[in-house]
Amino acid sequence: MAASPLPHADKPLSPHLQIWRFTVTMAASITHRGTGVALYAGTALLAFWLIAVAQGPGFFYPIGGFLTSLPGMAILGGYIWALSFHLMNGLRYLYWDSGRGFDPKMARMTSWLVYVGSIALTALIFFLGYSARGGV
Amino acid sequence: MAHKGTGTFVMQRASAVLLVPLVIWFLVSVVSHAGDSFVEMKTWLSNPLVSIPFAAFVIIGSFHGRIGLSEVIVDYIHSWLRDVLLILSWIVTLGVWALAVWSVYQLSFAG
Repeated sequence: MAASPLPHADKPLSPHLQIWRFTVTMAASITHRGTGVALYAGTALLAFWLIAVAQGPGFFYPIGGFLTSLPGMAILGGYIWALSFHLMNGLRYLYWDSGRGFDPKMARMTSWLVYVGSIALTALIFFLGYSARGGV
Repeated sequence: MAHKGTGTFVMQRASAVLLVPLVIWFLVSVVSHAGDSFVEMKTWLSNPLVSIPFAAFVIIGSFHGRIGLSEVIVDYIHSWLRDVLLILSWIVTLGVWALAVWSVYQLSFAG
């Protein structure tokens, strides 16, 4: 690799996907990256949503209307699930940073927990959100 | 160059820790404001105790996101495109920061 003037360019890389045997911890690691990239884009969209509220109804109604449409709800649902997953798995990584939780059996169990927990949390948020709207 | 990565590593963890309460607050807000009209939404967001944490979520989130995205870029892109994408990731992040700061000013502090 050519040397680069940028600070990130000459660091050690992560191992590539094809050399791993499938495990749920690996799946959680990939999903963490995937949700992270999606959240980077989603957070940019959220900044546009925020400025639209600040600008007034003329800017807000097209965005607000889109969010209640089916594709809008899919994006919102995806964002909320990505946020839930990245939060829960991120807490798991912070726990790992403290030097604990590396026992393989425990690591596998917490991976499954993050998948189940993030889906359950997303379902709960949608259920409560719909209830707040007074049903669909 | 050799020690540059440590600062990034610490910044990624520090922003992650700050984001934990902000994400929980954001998810609770989504639920409690799901049925809001535009006027209700704007009234809620105009309170600086709401607009500032909201902007903090967006600003710290995109800062944390840019670190992660740059890791992914560096792992998978090995051509000149890598540096272009790394610069782009900064431009997008700076744009998001500007939008968030401007929003808070307009919502809570302008007239």
